Amino acid sequence: MAQPENATSAAQSGPYDWIGSSVPKVDALDKALGITQYVGDMQMPGMLHARIRWSGVPHAIIRGIDTSEAVKVPGVRAVLTAGDIPGINRYGLAVQDQRVLADDKVRTAADPVALVAADTEQAAEEAITKIKLDLEPLRPILSIEDALDPTAPSIHESGNLFTRTTVRKGDLDQGVKESDVIVEETYRTHLMDHMAMETESSLAYMDPTGVLTIITSTQYPYRDRRQIAPALNLSMNKVRVVQAPIGGGFGRKDDITSEIHAGLLALKTQRPVRLVYTRRDSLIANTKRHPMLMKFRTGARSDGRLTFVDADIYGDTGAYLSLGAFVIKKAGIHACGPYDVPNIRVDTHTLYTNNLSSGAMRGFGVLQAAVAHESQMDQLAHRLGISPIDIRLINTLKPGLATGTGQVMDEGCGIEATVLRIKEYMESHDLRFTRS
Amino acid sequence: MEHYSLKINGHVYETGAEPFESLLDVLREKLRLTGSKKGCDEGECGSCTVLLDGKPVLSCILMVSDVRDREVLTVEGLPQGGEPHPIQVEMTERGGIQCGYCTPGIIMSAYALLQENPRPSEDEIRFAIAGNICRCTGYSKIVEALQAAAGTPIR
Ligand code: FES
Ligand code: FES
Repeated sequence: MAQPENATSAAQSGPYDWIGSSVPKVDALDKALGITQYVGDMQMPGMLHARIRWSGVPHAIIRGIDTSEAVKVPGVRAVLTAGDIPGINRYGLAVQDQRVLADDKVRTAADPVALVAADTEQAAEEAITKIKLDLEPLRPILSIEDALDPTAPSIHESGNLFTRTTVRKGDLDQGVKESDVIVEETYRTHLMDHMAMETESSLAYMDPTGVLTIITSTQYPYRDRRQIAPALNLSMNKVRVVQAPIGGGFGRKDDITSEIHAGLLALKTQRPVRLVYTRRDSLIANTKRHPMLMKFRTGARSDGRLTFVDADIYGDTGAYLSLGAFVIKKAGIHACGPYDVPNIRVDTHTLYTNNLSSGAMRGFGVLQAAVAHESQMDQLAHRLGISPIDIRLINTLKPGLATGTGQVMDEGCGIEATVLRIKEYMESHDLRFTRS
Repeated sequence: MEHYSLKINGHVYETGAEPFESLLDVLREKLRLTGSKKGCDEGECGSCTVLLDGKPVLSCILMVSDVRDREVLTVEGLPQGGEPHPIQVEMTERGGIQCGYCTPGIIMSAYALLQENPRPSEDEIRFAIAGNICRCTGYSKIVEALQAAAGTPIR
């Protein structure tokens, strides 16, 4: 990896001297000076501005889209719907369940149904409000319980349960028998937006050799290209994706956001097209943190030792999978937390709903699981009359012990030292846990 | 379309604009001063902060017609004689910048503070940047950088 030129002096002597020294980011001064060019800062001659019309309803059959008034708005250069897509109207990070523009059905209120490119943002904005949608509402699936209902309509072709994963260890019945106390609770976490300070944005243009070039705020240009090219019916070498400086991602810019839409408009108009999501667009349309419903049963002996974890984790991935199955599977893998649990049964269930889609977000499912396993620990501590810190110390993974999925810890396992530091700090500052 | 001559960073800029256009859009799209960022366009995030007659304002909710005959200072106007301002240097060197999108707004809020109060306390610094959302850093490194720029002791 290239080393920054302006690093601190510690850098000069050996290859490992970087570790522990504070090294200024190579691009930080440009950012402080305000000269870094994010996508929204760029302009090109003849550039058009784009806007997206979102469906606004969660589940419906599309009977018609009337763009006749929108095209009359002065300055409008293109109004596109699904029929204008030259390639395959499907994409997705893990499975191709998303449409570039909705065709048969609307599956979430954040489905894009039409695109506008115009000379000004104002004209594009005005045009999208003039697009008329003729939608026939379908029963919406708006919760995990709805999605589990066998009579619920299927959002995609094959049912609303996308996948299940399991974690098994030891003998659950034995664990239950050995328990002096069992805590059984249900936890819910909510949908959450990454709220990166820069919204999703792309600038697309045809380069002089006929290569569609898309400068974009993305986490992953190659995976973007793999999804853009088939949708636009271009061979891979006719699409170039340039990763611009990115004003925060946190997982949300892993998925396709503005890239295919900007590319399609540039292809159709043969003009540079800049698509910068408004904050509202960003809140509506991008992946979120998965809401989860977590049913946990956890046992312990009177000395505080955990005996078993028995859990079902249901994740609402919304209308599209994104990386949902992996996020929710990971919640299951982490369901026992950093603790030594001898007997485990954990199932995860990835469910489609008509809610906004969730995907990658900092922590990737681990945080939701922590809400459940740490709440269980607190409850067990309370029931057993052990301090919340001590019950954790009794059960933390230590070198030689294995996680729920069988990974044996070695000397890099720091949880016990971390909890001990907290304990020391609390004692030296006379801090106590209180429980109302 | 009206004609505006705007005093920005000590220079006079001539431009045509609709009176209802925001100062931020005029700065960014017409004058190509893109250092001021658009995080929300509705006065919530602080990334568009500039100084108007020395006071920090949100340029996304200020109409260009409101800034006639007034002095605007943007992040591009801070360096003196080609040298970055100490706030810019400290933010760079003390880890106050990650993605950098909030940075110009934070720097302008901090600059306004130091003009009024050259030796602010940590609380005063935190209060001065309370209207600037940073989604990356967790603020600690920013506060340390601003303390260093002010020459006040860091925690
Ligand atoms: S862009 Fe002005 S406050 Fe967010
Ligand atoms: S550095 Fe990314 S928002 Fe502040």
